Amino acid sequence: MTAVHQAVAGAGPYDAVSEQARAWRRLLTEAGYGGADHAGQVDPGARDGFRPLERLEPAAGDLIVIRYSAWSPGLGRLLDRPQRKLLVYHNITPPGYLWNHSPGLAVQCAVGRMQLPAFARGARVTTADSEYNAGELRDAGADGVRVVPVLFEPGRLAPRGRAPEGHGPLVLVVGRLVPNKRHDRVFRAFAAYQGECEPEARLLCVGTALNPRYAALMQTLADESGARNVRLAGGLAQDEVNAAYAEAGVLLTLSEHEGFCVPLLEAFHFGVPVVAAPAGAVPGVAGHAGLYTDGDPAVTAELMDMAVRDTELREELARRGRERLEQFAYERTAASVREVVEEALA
Amino acid sequence: MTRPEDAQEQARRSAELKRAEGRYAETTGGDALDATILGGRAPAELLSEWAVIEIEPDLLYSTRRGGAPITALKRLLLRLMRQHLVELEARQTRFNLGLLASFQQLERRVEALERDAPPRAGEE
Repeated sequence: MTAVHQAVAGAGPYDAVSEQARAWRRLLTEAGYGGADHAGQVDPGARDGFRPLERLEPAAGDLIVIRYSAWSPGLGRLLDRPQRKLLVYHNITPPGYLWNHSPGLAVQCAVGRMQLPAFARGARVTTADSEYNAGELRDAGADGVRVVPVLFEPGRLAPRGRAPEGHGPLVLVVGRLVPNKRHDRVFRAFAAYQGECEPEARLLCVGTALNPRYAALMQTLADESGARNVRLAGGLAQDEVNAAYAEAGVLLTLSEHEGFCVPLLEAFHFGVPVVAAPAGAVPGVAGHAGLYTDGDPAVTAELMDMAVRDTELREELARRGRERLEQFAYERTAASVREVVEEALA
Repeated sequence: MTRPEDAQEQARRSAELKRAEGRYAETTGGDALDATILGGRAPAELLSEWAVIEIEPDLLYSTRRGGAPITALKRLLLRLMRQHLVELEARQTRFNLGLLASFQQLERRVEALERDAPPRAGEE
């Protein structure tokens, strides 16, 4: 049996890159490939699916899929191995966002960006999960970059857990609490929305924080914004996230740097309108199915109000969202994944 | 119905009208994180700040669920090792500051050379 191994810098229970590695693994297993998934650093919550990178011992004919979202010494050493390699570029956060908040991660990102050309040269097939990321990979010197979107599995969005408490319109933000996601702007825009449009509105931010200090900073900023009914929930189980989507009036994403943004597809799946900052890969993924803000908190608040109150606008956005989802249909992406794996093994 | 393509313009007009009435008073000015995000190279003052190493116990924690006892144990170990760590901090800081001073001296020297250099062909 041909083995396809996957390698990531760090594996966690909730992050998008680890989720994609798990989704690819299910697909690869169905397609009859062996192999295992490895990570430079494995969070205790992800030990069921990932093994330490130093235990990766591929056979001569195996394929190594390198999921590149940050540098780690183990990933760099993979380039010296003789096995064929397939690079999946998920983007690397510009380190400027992180130097002041997580110097260690900033170093991983800075070196990761510097090393990107070496990874692009060392892979037999190079892919990126969005056209935006493909552009960065081409700039790093990669030829023939293939765009293989995130493998979106709607099945995991079916189970429903406990719904969020409260009654006002729910503004949902899904994504890690990290500086590039700009939760500071979220709090200001939400405070404006609550102050001028919908006093009973609730804000639920789902996602683990960069570190406890950053979590405390975000809580302080949320408190100082003057907004009420704000909950920074941390990482939630998938069924609870699903319940939040089912109740949400709007998904808000004011991220300044995004390599893909899976929550956009999740919102489309639930028919939830999206209000977003048009940054990074967001316009490429959401297309005409989102409402875009110019960054002014008052404009963002007004857009949220329209998205919640205007029934016809909601229906139109839901229709466009369903159309966008067809572009990211599981079978369609799965065919692309099988294709690039076969190409890399050929 | 508002078309999605027209929504931003409509939202902008609506926000302007409300601002004219004195509403949305808290929505001007910069965002809280702006000052912490670096667009390019870190400025010299910030590098000087970073050069001084100081181990902060609250940065040491466990990421496990129910990891509070592990966090407490790690911080206790840090306290027990304090004497050794202070020495390490001092040595690393000495090196960092020395390197930074040399770098700044070099930077000033390069600037002076560039300023005094005769213009190259095509630059006049």
